[in-house]
Parts: sequence; C-alpha cells; structure tokens
Amino acid sequence: MTTVTAALEGYTQQLRNNRMGLWLFFISEAFLFGGLLVTRFYLWGNTRPELDQTIGLIVTGVLLLSSFSMNMAETAIEHGDRRTFLGGLAVTAVLGLVFLIGVMVFEWGLFPAIYEGHLKPGDNVYGAVVFAMTGMHALHVISGIIFIAIVWNLGRKGGFSPERHWGVESCAIYWHYVDVVWIFFYPALYLIGTVAH
Amino acid sequence: MNNSARTKAYGRSAMIALTLAVLTIIEFYVAISLDSAIFLMLIALFKAVIVVQAYMHVSRLWSPEGEH
Amino acid sequence: MTLWSLGLVRGVVGQIVGFAAGMALVIASRLLFGFDPVWNQEPALVGGIIIGSIGFLIGVGALTDWFKWMRGIETPLHHGPPHGRPAWTRYFGVDYNHKVIGIQYGVTGIILLGIGGMFAVIFRTELAASGFQFLNPSNYNTYLSMHGWAALAAILLGIGGMANYLVPLMIGAEDMAFPRLNAFAFWINVPGIITLLMSLNYGWDGGWTVYPPLSVLGPVGYQFTFWAVFLIGLSSILGSLNLIVTILRMRPPGMSLFRMPIFVWAVFATSLIQLTATQFIGQAFLMLSFERLLGMGFFDPDKGGAPILFQHLFWFYSHPAVYIFVLPGLGIISEILPVFSRKPLFGYRWIALSSIAIALVGFLVWGHHMFTSGYGEYLRVPFMISTLLVAVPTGVKFFSWLGTMWGGKLSFPTPMLFVLGAISVFLIGGLSGPILATTATDLFLHDTYFVVGHFHATIFGGFVFPFFAAIYFWYPKITGRMYDETLGKIHFWLMTPAFWTMSLGQMSVGVMGMRRRIADYDPALGVEFGHVLVTIAGFTIAFSVLLMIYNLLHSAETGRVAGNNPWRSRSPEWQIPSPAPEHSYASPITVVGEPYDYGIPNSTYVHMAPLAAADD
Repeated sequence: MTTVTAALEGYTQQLRNNRMGLWLFFISEAFLFGGLLVTRFYLWGNTRPELDQTIGLIVTGVLLLSSFSMNMAETAIEHGDRRTFLGGLAVTAVLGLVFLIGVMVFEWGLFPAIYEGHLKPGDNVYGAVVFAMTGMHALHVISGIIFIAIVWNLGRKGGFSPERHWGVESCAIYWHYVDVVWIFFYPALYLIGTVAH
Repeated sequence: MNNSARTKAYGRSAMIALTLAVLTIIEFYVAISLDSAIFLMLIALFKAVIVVQAYMHVSRLWSPEGEH
Repeated sequence: MTLWSLGLVRGVVGQIVGFAAGMALVIASRLLFGFDPVWNQEPALVGGIIIGSIGFLIGVGALTDWFKWMRGIETPLHHGPPHGRPAWTRYFGVDYNHKVIGIQYGVTGIILLGIGGMFAVIFRTELAASGFQFLNPSNYNTYLSMHGWAALAAILLGIGGMANYLVPLMIGAEDMAFPRLNAFAFWINVPGIITLLMSLNYGWDGGWTVYPPLSVLGPVGYQFTFWAVFLIGLSSILGSLNLIVTILRMRPPGMSLFRMPIFVWAVFATSLIQLTATQFIGQAFLMLSFERLLGMGFFDPDKGGAPILFQHLFWFYSHPAVYIFVLPGLGIISEILPVFSRKPLFGYRWIALSSIAIALVGFLVWGHHMFTSGYGEYLRVPFMISTLLVAVPTGVKFFSWLGTMWGGKLSFPTPMLFVLGAISVFLIGGLSGPILATTATDLFLHDTYFVVGHFHATIFGGFVFPFFAAIYFWYPKITGRMYDETLGKIHFWLMTPAFWTMSLGQMSVGVMGMRRRIADYDPALGVEFGHVLVTIAGFTIAFSVLLMIYNLLHSAETGRVAGNNPWRSRSPEWQIPSPAPEHSYASPITVVGEPYDYGIPNSTYVHMAPLAAADD
C-alpha cells in the first residue's frame, strides 16, 4: 500500500466519522429545539401572540434563499468553481445577517429608536416563549455566520478542494440544519392557533 | 469537471429552493384559510425532509466511500 | 518546569480574568442600552460565569487546536508526555490520549465524590439528634442541595472515566474518534465544578430538583447551579457523541455488535440517553436562569406560565439520567462476574439488549416523579405501568448474574466482592422501586426518607459499588501494580454492612414519617435512633472510602508488580503490557471468537497480531 492511498484512506475514515459525529450533534440539538416546541404547545396550546406576518414571511423567505446560496456554494467547491463558492458563502452570510436584523430589530425591538417592539420577554408567557424560541435560534444563526466567515476566509486563501472540503460540507449542513429548525419554528410561532388577546 | 455537470447541479439546487418556496406559500395560505395545526406541521415536516435529503445529503452517512 | 506550564493553573487564571471581563461586559452593555441601575448583581454574575468558563477553556488550552484550524493551520496529534516536563504534568493539562483523559475524569470524579460525601456527612451529623445543633435550616438546605449536584456530577465524571479509559481499549481502537473533542468534553467540567462550588458563597436551598417557584425566588446561588449543570451537561452530550461514533465506527475486524464486550454495550445505551435527554435539563435550567434574569414567565402562573412544565422538562432528563448512572455500572458487573466465575456470561445477547431496552423504556417513565404534582390524573396509570415495565429488563440482568455464577469456580478478590456487594445493594434498590412506582403507595411515601433510601440503594448498587469494583479490577492495568488486597477487603467489609444499615435505616425512618429535606424533626416520631444509626453508617462509609484512596495512592508506589493479566481475563486490554503503553496495541487486533467463553477449551477471543499480512 502506498503512503498516498493510505493517507487518503485515513482521510475517508475520518470524514465518515466526522459526518456521523455531526449528525449525532444534530439529533441532540433536535431534542433542544423539540423541547422548545413542547414548551410552546404546553403553554400556548392553540393560541398564538399577534406577530407581524410580513416580517415573518420576509425572514422565512430570506432564510430559504440563504439555504439556496449555501447549497450553490457547496456544489461549486465540489466542482472546483472557487468564484461561485466564495460568492455563495458571502451571499449566505449577508442573508443570515438580514434574517438576524429582521428578527432582532423588527420583531424584538432591540433598538426602540428604529422600531418599538410590542412584545417584551417579561410581559407574559407569549413574550417569554417568542423570545426563548427566536433567541435560541438566533444564537445558532450567529454561530453559523461565524462558521461561514471562517470557511470563507480559508477558501479565499486557497483552502479546500473538490476532493477535500469537509470544512465546507459541515458548514453547509449546519446552516441547512438551522434552516430546518426555522421550518418548524415559523408555523409554530406565526401560523398555528388563533391570536390571543 | 465539465461545465454541463456543474450547471446541472446548480439547476437542481435552484429547483429545490423553488419547491421549498412554493411549499412556504402554500403553508401561508393553508394557515389563513384552513387553520389546521396538523396540516401545517405536516407541510413543515415535508419541507424538512426535502432539506435534509437534498441539501444536507443525509444519505452520505450510509453511502459507501468516494462521493463527497 | 514552572507552575504556569500546567494547563490547570492557566485555566483557573483564565477563569478569574474571564469572570471579571464578563461582569464588565454586562455592566457596559447595561450602560449602553440605558438600563436603570447599571450595577445589578445577578446579571453581572451570570455574565461572569459564562465568560469565565470560556476563559478557563482558553487558558487550559482546550481550544488552541481549533483556533489554529480556523486560521488554516494543521495540527498533528501529539503523542506521549509533553516535551521537557515531567510525565505527570500531562494529567494537569490538555492531553489527547484517551487513557490520560480517562484518568483525569476518574480522579476528578473521586475528588468530587469526596466533596459531595463531605456535604452529606455534615448534614447527616445535624440529623443525628432532633433540634438544631450547628446548622440552621437555610445552610442545611444549601449543603443538602450541594450534596445532590456534587454527587451527581461526580457520577457523570466517574462514568466518563470508565468509558473513556476502557471503551477504546476494549474494542482495540487506537483512541477515541475525536480526541480533541474528548479533551474539550473533559475540561469543560472543571469550570462547571468551580462554578458549582462558588454557589456555596451565596447559598441555594431547593434541593437538586430546583423546582420553581422556590428556585426563582431564592438567592442568587441558584444561577451558579444552573450554569454549572449546563456546562457539565454539555460535557455529557459531547462525550457521549464521541463514544457512539467510536463504538460504531472503530471496532476491529471480526468484532460484530454481538461480540463486543458487554460494558461497551452498556456505554452505548448510556450514551444514547446522554446524547438526547441531556438537552432537556439544559433547556429547563436555562429557562429558569432567564426567568430570574429577564422575568420571562415560563413557570410563573401570574404571567400565564406553568410550574408543572418545569417538572416535565426536568424529569424527562432526570429520570433517564438515573439509567445513565446505573447502566455502565451494571455493565461492569456483567463484565467482571464471568472472570471470577470462570464461566461464560449467561445470556449475553439478552444482557446486551436489556441495556438498550432499559434506555428506551426509560424515556417513557418520567411522570412517576410527579404523581403528587397535580398533573392530569389520567396520566398516573400509564406512567405507573411503564415504570413497572422497567423491572423486566432489569430482572433479565439479575437472572443473568445468577446464571453466570451458578456452578462456577468462584474466587473472591476485592473486585469480585464489590460486584457481589453491588448486586445485593442494587437488589435493595430494585425491590423498593415498584413500591414507589405504584401510585397508591407513592402518594403516601412521596417526599419521605423512603425515597432517599431507595435512590441511594440504586445509585450505590448501580454506580458506586461497581465503580469501586472497576477501580480495583483495572488498577493493575492502569498502574502496573497490585493494590493491597487486605486493605481492599477491609474497605469492602466496612462499607457493605454500613450501606445496608444506611439504606434500610433511611427507608424505615421514611415509613415512620420522616420527611426529606427538613433540618429538624419531631422526636415524637420515634426516628431518632434510626437517624443515629444512619449517621454512624454514613461515617463508616466515608472512612472506608478514605481507606481505599490511601490504598490506591500507597500501592502505586509499593504494590507488587502485577504482570500483564493477573485476572486471566480474555478481554483484549489484558493481553497488552501493564501499565498500558502509550499506543495501546502494537499491531491491529482481530476478533475470532466469543468474548466470554471462560472455561471452554481452545476458545480464543482476539488475535493480537494481524491474521495475514496483506500489506506491501
């Protein structure tokens, strides 16, 4: 066995370990987000707070678009297209930031000078659960954006190849996972139940 | 890497995004007109399965070596 | 060698600096966003806890390699003791060898077990007589609550120690699947423990269950507990993830799932629970923390919240957590019994699957802690039935242990004694279980000392005794020397009767009406004599454990050289030199037979050298 194939075999082994590890992490996180959903249904039942439907649709659409650009970036590095790869990552990060601004400024009312939020975490159980769910999700979005920034920087300096890009793959599926969580959170927060007041 | 394979892969990516967008719009109108929690959660589940399968390539977990 | 070169020292300094930075950060952002009192103790402390823990991890060096990866620098794994420093220093810093990490886990676990036990001895002494001796109700409750979480954290660490040290050795793997993650998962415990001990300064009095509303209204010490448990839980999640990947992906050729050592099955089942359920307690404790910080009314009925929701979230982790605690211990029992019975393990497949069954059923039983909570009455019977169902796979294990010993050539060195002690103690815990699982009797016994007795019997039988058995059993492999057999036997014969007295004593004062978590009691209950007995027993256990620690430290220097395989075990880790070398296996191993065919002529489990050299 030559050393080159031995090294490649070692890489493939580690790659498969890494994939399994990351997916196990997702399973674990699913219980965290599942617990938040349980909390939402336990406390709200078939009601929901009055949230701005336009903001809800916009941020959901933005996150969906970011998933698309992320997949473009990953597909690009698989085919050795570095320009699209870097561009896709940059677009994803920007869309992630737009999502964050949408939630934090126009839903939370973080900067009352721009927009005065109508829900406060300490008001009642509606405010509490909205902030808990969007807050935990936003934490993951922020970590995803940092992850993208690191991968983008490494890619800019010539890192990753069509054969070896676990960094990109993990970053991409992490980002998609954050999107999957929002797929469940969006109806749970904005659509299900009747508005309580 | 030939260019047509790459273009095809981009196209597939866009088609999936389009499907998800259509499903989201359907979801929104179901919420307005039907108000059925179960139905909404089913649509969400369907969307999640699409993302997990198409974007997160879950099948790579059990596929044999090679393919990235 | 300077003190600064020890990772632990750098970590503690990092935590202190981080704590100050975190407090400053909170004060600065309160100033920025115009909160009215800029100085508010609680948010500042929480900021300190969070940033302080990150400071510890940076200081100790658990993140160094990852920071390098972020800048595109490759970091080859370093093997062996650090350059230019004595070999022992590797135990005080980040090291990626699973055997070092296993020892780190184990020793930290024993130290924390000692701290937890010390709290118990303190408030046990107070209970020896009615009236107030030297504690008041508030610090009594603080010690009692600290005993709970210190001991539980110690158990998690002890399990991490056994799993990290043994699993890669038993499956012939070079190391764990993710060595850096493994080191990170250990080191995140240390700031967690420091944070937990800091809570003593402020006090908290809710017991380990920290139910709201008490935990929302109580002193600020609660915040330390919440975040300490969160950190230790994060360690559980990452550690179990690592173990599952290791077990599933790194077995040698020929080791099918049903040819794994039985302890590996137990760890696998435990890891499944740890990976998933732990998120619930992390979430529940975060919710409590933020209810205190921001007034988020999850559990506050005034704001539409529900205190019972906390109990659901809490027990959805904390009941399966009991199985996290006992499954590895039960695995140790099944692992050691055949060695000293010189007979095959009875019903290997059933034992393996019963661990998985306990883990899965364990997810469906949490409501039996809440029979008196006022939740829907229709939930009582389903939870009662599912709880009683756990007795079935547990019974399978008992039958297997009896079947293994039946007709065997038994010998009784200290590890075997502790295994038998574990079975006897776990039997006490197991038999008192259905009484509490049955709604009708639980309504009477809930929140009495009977529960305390039952719980301690399961945990001592399922964790402490097997853990001690494992320490004595693998001590020769770890140090290369034998422990002192006489001292080991004295330890056993002091601890076991003392524990029986303690556990049965607790149950009997409970039936007589002694409530748990109360600093004082009415002498008219007639429980004073029982309490004296339990207190004496508690001191005896504490003394016997000190004896063990002396034995372990002393024998590492003076013990007889053990040789490779003093117990004539078939398991692969005993076929290599003692103490286990840096690279455990000089060449890859191959599994060719069944693991527990003791006493069957011409049967082999592992081939140490590769069967055929296919390379080159």
